[in-house]
Amino acid sequence: MTVHQSSASSGAPTTSVPDGASGAGRGAPSPVARARRIRTRRRLRAADILVTALVTSVALAVALYLAYGGLNDVTDVASAVTALGVVTGLVGTDLILVMLVLAARIPLIDRTVGQDVAMALHRRLGKPALYLILAHGVLLTLGYALSSGVDVVAETVSLFNTPDLAFAYLGVGLLVAVVVSSLVAVRRRFPYEAWHAIHLLSYAAVLVALPHQLSAGGVLADGTVQRVYWLALYVLAFGAIGWFRFVLPVIRSYRHGITVSGIETIAPGVVSIHLTGRDLDRLQTAGGQYAIWRFWTAGTWWHAHPISFSSVPTRSSARITVRDLGRGSRELGRVPVGTRVSIEGPYGLFTDAARTSPHLAVVAAGIGITPIRSLLEHSTLSRGEATVLLRGTNESQSYLWNEVGALSRTAGSAIYSMIGPRPRGVDTWMSAEAISAGVTISSVFPRLTDSDLYVCGPQAWTDLVVRDAKAAGLADRQIHVERFDW
Amino acid sequence: MRKRAIAASILSSAAVLVVGWQLGAPSAVMTSVPSASSGGGTSAGPSTAGSSSAGAGSAPAATSAPAAPSGTFVGSSTSTRFGSVQVQITVAAGAITDVTALKLTDADGRSVQISNRAAPVLRQEVLAAQSARVSTVSGATYTSEAYLTSLQSALDQAGL
Repeated sequence: MTVHQSSASSGAPTTSVPDGASGAGRGAPSPVARARRIRTRRRLRAADILVTALVTSVALAVALYLAYGGLNDVTDVASAVTALGVVTGLVGTDLILVMLVLAARIPLIDRTVGQDVAMALHRRLGKPALYLILAHGVLLTLGYALSSGVDVVAETVSLFNTPDLAFAYLGVGLLVAVVVSSLVAVRRRFPYEAWHAIHLLSYAAVLVALPHQLSAGGVLADGTVQRVYWLALYVLAFGAIGWFRFVLPVIRSYRHGITVSGIETIAPGVVSIHLTGRDLDRLQTAGGQYAIWRFWTAGTWWHAHPISFSSVPTRSSARITVRDLGRGSRELGRVPVGTRVSIEGPYGLFTDAARTSPHLAVVAAGIGITPIRSLLEHSTLSRGEATVLLRGTNESQSYLWNEVGALSRTAGSAIYSMIGPRPRGVDTWMSAEAISAGVTISSVFPRLTDSDLYVCGPQAWTDLVVRDAKAAGLADRQIHVERFDW
Repeated sequence: MRKRAIAASILSSAAVLVVGWQLGAPSAVMTSVPSASSGGGTSAGPSTAGSSSAGAGSAPAATSAPAAPSGTFVGSSTSTRFGSVQVQITVAAGAITDVTALKLTDADGRSVQISNRAAPVLRQEVLAAQSARVSTVSGATYTSEAYLTSLQSALDQAGL
């Protein structure tokens, strides 16, 4: 049998895949279930409001132009092209500001949809925003050239000599650099730091574009409501970035004074970093969350690492566990005791707060065990509520499994492990052995459709688990995934 | 829940667009008149008005003798879709000594910029050519044509 009970489970099923019956407390809706339902409803409503606000901001960008009376000027092809050029500029800039807000790590957004989902949207908006800005430049040049009866080159020269326009061209250039460097194919060739440095230019790109928006067009002219709204958008986006990504982390790091208290190698290439600091419980870290860490040694300070808490912080100590996935994270295993550490976070919605259903199904692979470990530590589980499946290619990937066993044993949960490589040529997240034994996601988690599924592991593997879960009838809001690929 | 977000997005976007469109409709001119345009308009003035030295009591055409007209003559106001243009000329003994732009295209910030660029060029050309038969400024076709039309009407009044 490939799926077998881990060494430590007490009142739990047989060594084979459970096919039902492990008595969870069902019956009348408990206060916990009620609270969960209310919390879920609130969270989803907040998410709806955020989505609505985003879409409406695009409509508002168009409405700015309509309110200005732009349509009245549209009389021929040239003026239509010009009008379209103005609108694409407004919408494109609005989208870039939205992207800044999404990347600002605003707690409300993190609590509502999760920072990973926000960043996935941020990435998807990048190219459309750039295309809109490029269209803005091209259409306006064309529109002006048509209405003035000159060729495009002459019009470009004349635009270049218009006040503030040179800066706008600079902004477009920066934006192209930012987006091109973020294309997957290009990004892989750069070290993360180089990419990040280029990415920071997007702030400059949006800022240098501002003067021409205020001076060259009539839409945002001085003294109009439009101008006030537009400047408020800029203040919101840059204020959020400045506060949540720069000021707050500095205050927090200074306040908690975190240092490395020990490094523990728990498997080949996997280290737990023990941290000590002041009032770490005040960070209010929920099990399953991560933070972005910076270790202040000569060789590591320039690289910030998103790393999950592998246990819930106490007042004076915290622990994170990391696998050497790259040069940067490998060096973390060598930082000396006493190294100062700065923190951004904690972030993440891979927590008990996101629960929607009475049962809990957990799948972890490799280093994905870390948030799972602290998630389970932080959850109050009734007997038989949770079923945990730990997945590894071989025994060397079973680090922290003993701790999970020790935790869950007290909660009376079922823990299974599945060790072995995936079969060749089959798209699956399970081991070849499990496949041939007829194991499915529903046989591992008999109450799957009545569960919250928490999945953490390599991205491609995680996608396959999610695919199977959806095929088994699980709703999106019951699926919780922590992305580790950014 | 997703559906609700989509419905809410459509509703609020539609509302915002309709309100924007209403505000911008021709009847509600007040919202579409940016105050920058008046600021820009006056800033367009000095470049030409500075040299016009208090255009002497605006003398109508009738007062000047047909032979060698003198005085100031205000051209007709010519409207373009970027705003209207009106110029005034100062004539001394049959010669154009100055051209002052009373109004220039100022529908938006860009129009103001174009006007500021074109007006001095046109004034120079007109003073040199002593007529409205000068070439238009590239990139400022509308402004140039309206400028020269208004100028021609002023010249007609002066009998030049």
